[in-house]
Amino acid sequence: MIPPFLHINGLRKTYGPVVATEHVELSIKEGEFMTFLGPSGSGKSTTLYILAGFQDPDTGDIRLRGRSILGVPSHKRNIGMVFQRYTLFPHLSVGENVAFPLRVRRLPQAEITRKVRRALELVRLGGFEERKPASLSGGQQQRVALARALVYDPPVLLMDEPLSALDKKLREEIQYEIRRIHRETGVTILYVTHDQEEALRLSDRIAIFNAGRIEQVGTGAELYTSPATHFVADFIGDSSFLDGTIAAVEGRCADLRLGDGTLARRIPLHAPGRPGQRAELMLRPERIELSPDPGPDGASLPVLVQDVTFLGNITDVVALTAWNAPVTVRLGFMHPLSGRLTRGDRLWIRWAAETVHAFPRD
Amino acid sequence: MASRVTTESPVHAASGGVGPAAGHAGSATVPALRRRPSGLALALPALVLLLAFFALPVVLFLARSVTEPQPGFQNYAALFGGPTYLRILLNTFIVGGVVTAVTALLAFPVAWALAIMPPRWSALLFGIIVLSMWTNLLARTYAWMVLLQQTGVINRMLQALGIIDEPLRLVNNLVGVTIGMVYIMLPFMILPLTGVIRKIDPMILQAASLCGATRGQAFRRILLPLAAPGLAAGGLMVFVMSLGYFVTPALLGGTSNMMMGQLVAQQVQSLTNWGLGAAAAFVLLAVTLLLYAMQIRLLGRPEGMR
Ligand SMILES: Nc1ncnc2c1ncn2[C@@H]1O[C@H](COP(=O)(O)OP(=O)(O)O)[C@@H](O)[C@H]1O
Ligand SMILES: [Mg+2]
Repeated sequence: MIPPFLHINGLRKTYGPVVATEHVELSIKEGEFMTFLGPSGSGKSTTLYILAGFQDPDTGDIRLRGRSILGVPSHKRNIGMVFQRYTLFPHLSVGENVAFPLRVRRLPQAEITRKVRRALELVRLGGFEERKPASLSGGQQQRVALARALVYDPPVLLMDEPLSALDKKLREEIQYEIRRIHRETGVTILYVTHDQEEALRLSDRIAIFNAGRIEQVGTGAELYTSPATHFVADFIGDSSFLDGTIAAVEGRCADLRLGDGTLARRIPLHAPGRPGQRAELMLRPERIELSPDPGPDGASLPVLVQDVTFLGNITDVVALTAWNAPVTVRLGFMHPLSGRLTRGDRLWIRWAAETVHAFPRD
Repeated sequence: MASRVTTESPVHAASGGVGPAAGHAGSATVPALRRRPSGLALALPALVLLLAFFALPVVLFLARSVTEPQPGFQNYAALFGGPTYLRILLNTFIVGGVVTAVTALLAFPVAWALAIMPPRWSALLFGIIVLSMWTNLLARTYAWMVLLQQTGVINRMLQALGIIDEPLRLVNNLVGVTIGMVYIMLPFMILPLTGVIRKIDPMILQAASLCGATRGQAFRRILLPLAAPGLAAGGLMVFVMSLGYFVTPALLGGTSNMMMGQLVAQQVQSLTNWGLGAAAAFVLLAVTLLLYAMQIRLLGRPEGMR
């Protein structure tokens, strides 16, 4: 059997009593764009630093093309990395920054010149060779850092929240550049972010980190349509959750008694549940209907409009159930109710059973 | 494009550090002074005081180098004419150079440790270093005398270990002077060096490592150039202080191989030859100013002088 290109196996790292990361298990294909997505402090950077060789794990292994890299010091790993903070060498010109990895590898000058020029053209900074890092904008500095990390053709490129210091518009611009560079070079990328939109925009697959563990790995679409855990469902998409009690179980579905006595029928269960157990009903804001009329029995709920936010192409409506639980509903620009809602309107939310989920509580 | 620059500038300024900000402050005060002559007027008493107590005595003393025993440059001719004084001049520069080099070598790892240590520990170490600077200079120099003499701790230990048979001559010569001065000068190198190293983001060194640089390459190509301003500031301070140092050479040095400070004292105090003493002092001052000018040319003004 061919071993996976990059395999992270049972990684665990503690700092004194703090468990930074554990049970991290992941296989990455050559040329894949894999993103670690999770809240701050969930162990994403720690995992990346172990890959870079800045930290040693307590247990576990990392294999690149079947060979463990843990015994290899970081200067011999041949891995590229772009950091969250600006880490260009301030005393060297842009050209010398990019040339640095080649100089320490003692390449001939002609080859260095050629490769540096090509790398700077790749990040669209051709002709910036003589500039000093301090004279560049934050976005330009990160692009130079990207060129420096790619100039020696590393098999893996690590990126630890490289855009978090930039403003939104610039961030999107560079996200587009990163995608293009990934396409053109075919380099395998491990990317860390806490921004779900960024993860969805860039990645082939996403690993959702929570409290030091990976909760789920999948494409953006997989994570969105079939979240494995409550946490994933919450993190991808701005879902609402309604408390309820399981009234009856039928195969992989259950009837759920909600707070006002409404029975939500035939909701797909995420894990085995039993009658009497508490469960949460997950509602995706763009997959539920808002309507003046109730829907078919068991698939609708009366609500009171609490807040309406016009966001241009969409309108976000926050409505309260009879027991004051908030539900977010997203309306497209063309929706008949769009632009006609005000606080205090009494309406119904409706759903199709296959678009909602129930998460039984432990 | 314009909007991009403005939106990014806060990030830039935050990472850019104090440099540009300090530059702004400096250039802002100059026009302010020009606009309001009262600023200069306010500074006048302080300037007069400075001249009266600081510059005037020095100038009066140095003037004696061309007026005593008679007007002319005979003192300078004597200083540079014969082998005796040239030897002293050479001693002074060699000891100054060696002391500066050894101090830099010892101070670098200490400064590095101070910079990366947890703040509480580095504050403690800083305290110890500053305390040692406040301890009486004579007491510290006599302590070295006790350690270094023929029957001192160091010689007896080396003999006990069988490394040497005869005690080494560690005092009353330039070896003793060098050891004692390195000890005295260390803080003056450690402090500016720590300040500079503290400002280097450790991530930059991690980036260098991942780029393929060995520890040695990262040190030579990244850390050393970035620490150069601190080395230059500390080095200049130590070298200049070494040139004119008197107490340590007087106590730990011998009479056969003197240094400039001893020469000045000997000429003025024992021989009342003010002219030659003043000439020697002027040579020291001239060298100091020359070095300082060179440093400004090469590295810009040291911190706090902008
Ligand atoms: N050098 C360190 N010393 C102690 N604790 C650390 C260190 N680095 C990270 N941690 C802890 O490990 C956990 C995971 O951190 P990190 O991997 O940086 O998270 P993320 O990158 O997902 O924000 C956090 O609780 C953090 O406080
Ligand atoms: Mg992080």
